[in-house]
Formats: sequence, C-alpha cells, structure tokens
Amino acid sequence: MLGFSRSSLTNFLFWVTQKKWFLITIVVGIILVLLPTPSGLTLEGYRIIIIVITALMMIITEPIPLPAVAIYILVFEVILGINDADGIAHSFMNDAVFFIMGSLMLSVAIIKQGWDKQIALGIITLTGNKTKNIVFGFTAISAILSSFIGEHTVAAIMLPIGMTLIRFTSEDKDRVKGLSAVLLFSIAYGALIGSIGTPSGGGRNVIMMSYFHDFGLSISYLEWMIKVYPLVIVQIPIISWVLLKSFVPEYDHLDTGVRKLIVQVAKSPNMTGRNTVAAFIFLLVFLGWVFLSETYGLGTIALFGVFLYLVAGFVKWEDLSKNTHWGVILLFGATISLGSNINDTGAALWLANQVVNLFGTIMNSFPFAVDTIIIVMTTTMANVLSSSATVAVLGPITLNLGENAMHLGLVTAIASAFGYFTAVAAPACTIVYSSGLVGAKDFLKVGWRVGLISMILLVLYANTYWLIIN
Amino acid sequence: MKILIAVASKEYSGPTLRVGMQIAKALNASTTIVDVAEKANKFNSKVVGLAQERMDSWEFDRPGIDVLEWAFNFLAENNYIAPTMIEAGFSTNMLVEIGENRSEVFLKGTVCKDVQLILRNGDIIAELRDEVKQGHYNVTIIGGSGKRRMAHDLIQYIDSSIFVVNQFDPNQKYRILLAVDDSTGTKGAVKFGVRVAQAFKIDVDILTVSKVDRFGDGYKGAAEKAGKFMRRAGIQYQNIYRVGDPSEIIKKEAGDNHIVIMGASSKNPLMKFFKGSKPLKVMEDCPCPILIVK
Repeated sequence: MLGFSRSSLTNFLFWVTQKKWFLITIVVGIILVLLPTPSGLTLEGYRIIIIVITALMMIITEPIPLPAVAIYILVFEVILGINDADGIAHSFMNDAVFFIMGSLMLSVAIIKQGWDKQIALGIITLTGNKTKNIVFGFTAISAILSSFIGEHTVAAIMLPIGMTLIRFTSEDKDRVKGLSAVLLFSIAYGALIGSIGTPSGGGRNVIMMSYFHDFGLSISYLEWMIKVYPLVIVQIPIISWVLLKSFVPEYDHLDTGVRKLIVQVAKSPNMTGRNTVAAFIFLLVFLGWVFLSETYGLGTIALFGVFLYLVAGFVKWEDLSKNTHWGVILLFGATISLGSNINDTGAALWLANQVVNLFGTIMNSFPFAVDTIIIVMTTTMANVLSSSATVAVLGPITLNLGENAMHLGLVTAIASAFGYFTAVAAPACTIVYSSGLVGAKDFLKVGWRVGLISMILLVLYANTYWLIIN
Repeated sequence: MKILIAVASKEYSGPTLRVGMQIAKALNASTTIVDVAEKANKFNSKVVGLAQERMDSWEFDRPGIDVLEWAFNFLAENNYIAPTMIEAGFSTNMLVEIGENRSEVFLKGTVCKDVQLILRNGDIIAELRDEVKQGHYNVTIIGGSGKRRMAHDLIQYIDSSIFVVNQFDPNQKYRILLAVDDSTGTKGAVKFGVRVAQAFKIDVDILTVSKVDRFGDGYKGAAEKAGKFMRRAGIQYQNIYRVGDPSEIIKKEAGDNHIVIMGASSKNPLMKFFKGSKPLKVMEDCPCPILIVK
C-alpha cells in the first residue's frame, strides 16, 4: 500500500497504538490554538494554559518519556512567545529545583546506609508485640521520619521491615491479608501525613515556599513546623484507627513475627562509627535547614549534605547518578517554569477569577468554602498527577483565590499530600504497592476514608489553630 | 520450532503452562516461558528500584520471581528439565539480567531441546512483541483475556502464530476444528492442524463456511486439499460445509469441545486496525482454545 510493506504498516500502527495519547494531546493542542483567546486573558496567558493542559495530559497518560514532556514545556514556552529563551531558562532553575535534586540524592545516600535494621529494632522496642501498637508505631515513625527525610526515603526503608514482620508471622499470604494491608498502609499513609510537617518533607512544600517568595511573603522552616506539625501529630492516631477499622488484622499479637525479626536484626552488623558519622551529616543538614535556610536556601543546604556524603565516601557518585531520577528533576524544573509563567502572564489570576465565578455563590454562602474547593481540587489533581507537579501548576492559581495567600498556599501544599486514593499518586504508595501484597482496590477501599478525614481535619485545623496562633 | 509461553500467575496460568508444555513436548520445540510483570509508573520508577534494593538485603524476591519459581517447580514436577537442575532447585542467582527490563534463566530441557525462563517488566503487548522479535518464535501461547483490546493487539502486533488457551478443560476430550477458506493463511493453518492432530492423536473437523448459498472453487479446493493432507498423515477427519456468518458458525461448531485452528487474516493491516478481522471476532466470541496461524 503506497509502497509501504505490511511489516512497516504494522510497525506504524503499533506506534500509533502505543502513542495514542500523544496524538490525542497534539489534536487537543491544535484545536485549542485555533480557538479564539478567551476574553480577559492575554495571548501569552492563553498559550501557557494550552501548554499546561497538553503537558498534564502527557504526564498523566505517559505516552512519551517524562524528560520529553519537560523538554516540550520548555521549548514551546519559547516557541509560543511566552518569554524569551533566557527568561524561560531563568524560570526553570531556582532553589526549589535544587532542593528536589538534593533531596533525591540525599534519599539515595540515606537508603544506602542501611539504617532499616536499627529502625526495625527501635520500633519493636517501643511498641512491643501487640498488633495495634505496632500499627500505631509504624504510622508514627513513618510520619516523623518523612517530615525530615522525605516520604519515598521512609517508604523504601520501612517496607522491608513491614514485609519481614508479615513473612515471619505467616508464609501463607492468604492468612495475613488483613495484617499485610494494615502494616503496609501504615507505612505509606504515615509517610504521606508526615511529609507535610516541615518544608523538607517534600519538594511540593519548597515549591510553595518559592511561590510565597514571588508573592512577597516568607515563612521560615520553624514557622512552617509550628503552623503544620500539630496536624501531623493529630492525624497519626486517627489514621492508625481508620486503618485498623478498614482492614482487620488476623493476629492480635505478633509474638512469633517480632521474635524472629529481633533475631534477624541481631544477626546484622551493629551500628558502626561510619553509620554514626552518616547520621551526624544528616543532623547537620537538618540544623542547616532549620537555622540557615532563609540565608542559603533549602536546596543549597540539601546539596551541601550530598557533597559531604560524597566527600566522606558514604555514597558513590555512580550510585547517586544511577538511582536519581534526572528526568523527574527536569520535569519539576519545567513545571516550576510553567507555574512561574502562569503567574507572570496573568493566566493565574484569570484562572482564579474563573474559579471564583464558578463557585462564587458557594464561596459567599458557606464558611470555609474556599478552603474546601482548594482542597478538593488539589487532592483530585495530586491523585492523578504528582504532588509536586500539582503544587507547581495549581499554586499560582490558588494563591490568587483570596486575601490571605499564606493561608491558601499552606492549604494547597498540605492537600497535595492527600494522595491516598491510587497506587500511583505518591511515591510512598507506589513503593508499598510494588510489594504485591496490596492491590489497587485496597487503595480505593481505605483511601477515601483516610482522604475524607484528612480533608475535614485540614479545613477545621486551618480555620481554628491558625487563627489562634496568628 | 520455537515456542513462547506467556504466564502471569500461578492462580490463572496453570492451564496455559500445562498445554504449552504439552505442545512443546509434542513438537520437540525449543521453549521459553515468559512473565511480564507490571512496571512502576515513570515518576516513581527509580525510588521503587531503590526500595527493591533494600528488599534484596532482607532476602525478599522482586515481583515476578515467584511466578518464575512456580514455573520452575512445574517443569521439575513434570520432568521437563534435567535431573541435575531439579536437584539444585530454583534460586534467584540463576537469573541473568539482560537489559533494563529483562532477566533470563537458562535450563536444560529433557523432552524438548531447551527451556528458558524470562522475567520482563512493562506493557504486556510491547514486551511480548519485543520478545518474539528477538527470539524469532513460531508460536506464542497465552491465556484467555476478556479484554477486546488485548485480543486485537495480540493478533495485530505479535509476529508469530498465537495460541490462546481460552477456558481449557483438562478433562475434556478435544477435537480440532480447522477453519479453511481460499485465503493465504489457510495453508499454514492446515499444516499446523496436521502437526497438532498427529502429536495429540485427535480427530479433525474441517469446516468451510460460505457467506452465500454456494461454495466457490476456491473454498471447495481448500477443503479438499486439507482433507488430502489429513488422509496422508493418517488423521481421522470429516469435512463440514456451512452457510452463514463465519465467526458465528465457527463459534457454534466449536462449542466447548474443540480447539479452533485458523489462518490469520490476509487483510491489509490498516483495514484490520479499523474494521477488525474474522480471527479476531472468533477469538473474542469462542469459549474454547484457539490457534491463529501466521
């Protein structure tokens, strides 16, 4: 047919099948470009919205590699005249991107230290062998650790501990289905609820801090903790309780599992001087974040920590290079550039006005309506996209939705951590899902309960505690 | 002859592996058993990899290894692999990583030349297509799936004959339903039908379906030629002629006690992409195993 062999036609059709969402995205993009610019919106503003829509479609459906989406964003920002090449390059790199890069590398360095066995012993010593206490312990430790070292680091460290406890309780997976679910979700959800506690808990928090800076606002590491950490503490027992109600563990006590786990941990090497120094380096990074981040930036301090780990020889560059997702860093840089240009072109304000026009009656009639709308929007998007990309794109819009930009921004950043509903939403959820012991349906089964409770808690918390401390 | 058997889990893939190995044994084919495990989404692939590294240090196997171990045990229990290998048992050390998404275990076969276990990660159609391309397999054997898209993609994009082990009942005494017409695919289907019938010593029903109330020379010739092949090979057969919608008739004649064998559609790939094909319709509708010969 037209000189094409059957084989080349089949190859082409296979490509079309695999890339159908890419082709659909192109069609949607072309249609949007051909439509007239909506009134009240600049041409640049309209074009940046088109890039946002098409980029989000490609991020969600993954028809092309993530770095290709990042390159698409940057190239089309220039081609469509959003800004000149230097301006786009400038908007691509800031301290938030440095932080994401540094925290991903720090995560590799920390995971490579093999602290999981010491953490396992610590948890078991604290909780004993009662299942309820262990679930609470897993949630609490995951939450507290993830506030400082990031949710995916915690999930990667905690997963083998949970899995070992499950395996030592029973080798028959069918006999420990409830126990598996409750322990693994306590790790994933614990890591998620903890990640809101400090700016270093997740890249999204740092992205929001950079938007605060653009809006002439500032919040220090400690101020963030004072404002947000109590919510982490409140959520720990509530989420543990919801998990225990959603999945009934088969065993009230994990005598055998705990005993065997202690024996296994005892066999592994004790904490060495090297481990202590590695922990000390992280302590230095943490203190730097708390006391020096306003001067040097969170990203620079995270990268300094990576520098120290490399110099001390605690991690090889080859390991960092192999295990750091450079494509994700590139993509976050691109989404931050998108966010910045949404703001600069006036598209953010226009979109915010559309939200106000759409929900104006509700916003004026019901208390906390703005918060609720932001939380629902952010949570929905964070469950199909990534939390950092959600904040990068939604942040400039939500900050324009009311007078108190700090309040709105914090609500957005916190709600972006509510990725409870799907296995792909948050790295911690994907890691736990990769164990094969919990299914996609389990995420929905418990996710909506935890999500709903977290949303209600956030609305109440933001409109009581923040008013009191202000 | 090279056969690729795609399995997914011990819960669902038992019949596929059993039938696949019986065919491999009967045809003395070089056999590969592949499991395509799910791959983490692109955002989180690196962190999942890191988590799996920690899992390794706690002696946990990666997802998919359990499927290979189950397949190994099946081969061992049925003496499809050499006694020395059975004695040594399955170990993750046997896995050789080739590429980012592919690991292999080489085993020495007994009844068939050699047996290979492969673990891949990613989209099932893309990975099977790549495996078939690399290994030049003649037949891919896979379990039934209710998904129309899956059936379409298998027929359209896998460059080997496809045997779908759909609702296979080990206690059923199957016959072969060989669908013939004047298309180019019929010749291959007849040859394959003869080999399978000989290997399993089962009888063949040669079915010719015409949409109109008349059988042209091409159709008659194809049926007679198929009969001649059967006669020469000493296979019991009967010719059946029916008028009506081919896929409906094949479905009706096949019932639940036939293995359907038919040639792949000779339509242009673009036509098949948009309008589908007869084998696709049969694969979707028939509640029995079906072999589409390419």
